[in-house]
Amino acid sequence: MKELFKDILNMEGVKGVLFLSLQGDVVFKKFSSQLEKKLESRDWIHFVGSLNGIRETDLVYDNARIYIRKTGSGYLLILMDFFVSAAMVRLSCDILLPALKPMKGSKGFKRLFKK
Amino acid sequence: MLKNVLIVDDDQEMLLSLKNGLKKYGDSFSVMTAKDGLEALEQLKKNIVSLVVTDLKMPRMDGFALLEHIMEHYPDIPVIIITGYSTPNMEQLALDGGAVGYIAKPFMLENLARSIMASLRRESEGGTLHSVSSGIFLQLMEMEQKTCTIRLEDKDSGQKGVLFFLDGELLDARVNNLQGRPAAYKIFAWDKVTITIQNVCPKMDNKIQSDLQPVILEASRLKDEGTPVEGEADQPAPEPVPADTPPAKPGPSSYMSTIKRKLEAEMGRRHGLVDIYQDNSWNGLLEQITSVGALFGAGQLKVGYIDRGETSDFIVLPDEQTTVLSVNPKCPKEKILQVLIK
Repeated sequence: MKELFKDILNMEGVKGVLFLSLQGDVVFKKFSSQLEKKLESRDWIHFVGSLNGIRETDLVYDNARIYIRKTGSGYLLILMDFFVSAAMVRLSCDILLPALKPMKGSKGFKRLFKK
Repeated sequence: MLKNVLIVDDDQEMLLSLKNGLKKYGDSFSVMTAKDGLEALEQLKKNIVSLVVTDLKMPRMDGFALLEHIMEHYPDIPVIIITGYSTPNMEQLALDGGAVGYIAKPFMLENLARSIMASLRRESEGGTLHSVSSGIFLQLMEMEQKTCTIRLEDKDSGQKGVLFFLDGELLDARVNNLQGRPAAYKIFAWDKVTITIQNVCPKMDNKIQSDLQPVILEASRLKDEGTPVEGEADQPAPEPVPADTPPAKPGPSSYMSTIKRKLEAEMGRRHGLVDIYQDNSWNGLLEQITSVGALFGAGQLKVGYIDRGETSDFIVLPDEQTTVLSVNPKCPKEKILQVLIK
């Protein structure tokens, strides 16, 4: 699965990627191990619920930026530095999106991916 | 003009799920909630509500009692009943009592949304006007002997009010907890308003008992003298500000004007700004993205660009009052965000 997000993770300034299912389950994460533990222990259901109706959002914070993109099977969160080109991240997501559509006939999280 | 829909139900899970589910209609109406009839009455006093959706079986004050109160004191507000204990008799009672809709639980959220939208559309069937002078417009209503319900929103303060005209005669007015002449004085003091017109006037007593012109003149006098209108003066005075308190923040109107000027100065006409307003219905989302920002160590949220696939995108600026910019989706997003975080 790491292969799937390779292009985004390799972009300069991208600090990590989190993929949440529409039910709020952590499907994929790639951050520092300390942060990954925190992400795993959080209940994401309310967060995912609050994103209802949103296609994409670009959030600017004091120290970083978070880009969120809705896919057919969940939400992709990308943590990045200010200088990262949002247009480039958007383009990478556009390319990635078809691979994140739910697969018919598969079970569990595997059904979320085409490759 | 964003409309407020008040949903009343003692089932907290139901309230939360309706509030979340109806968020996707956020460009048409915002949702307020109350857990029983009494709490709903408090909300009705404080806010201008366009429609009430209420459960029937609730503690303290049930849905029928609430419906009766609304029909008596807020006859212009349509009520939709939702209930898990539906019988044909109960439905007939609700409709006879003045409800415009009756939906048995469980129901599809979309069905409720459709009923809400249909009722809200009637509220502005006679048209909507932006940035008009209230005095001139209302005199026109009198001259043309219009029968209508007019809802107004003050451009400066964001406050909302309602006026009722029968054959050109002003019967009543309502703003916050004021009614009758005090409410009319307050509304007529607003300079620039957004107006929606509904071509009906509910049956009601004439609480104004005066031609329009003297009411407009009195409103103007009170405004010039800075005298609070009757009823408003009873409200608690603001706390005195200690000498070492930092200077007060600019008011919402001046804050929004500053943002607009900043965008125009930096970007000319390319900014794509459609509207700018304050809207706390985004606060639920903002709370969530703020806490996620903290989890990632990203710091405080400064600005968010949101695409919901609608005709406009939204930029939210969190503060005590959430400021929302609706923008053309083709606007230069990056540049706008840069200007706003400067």
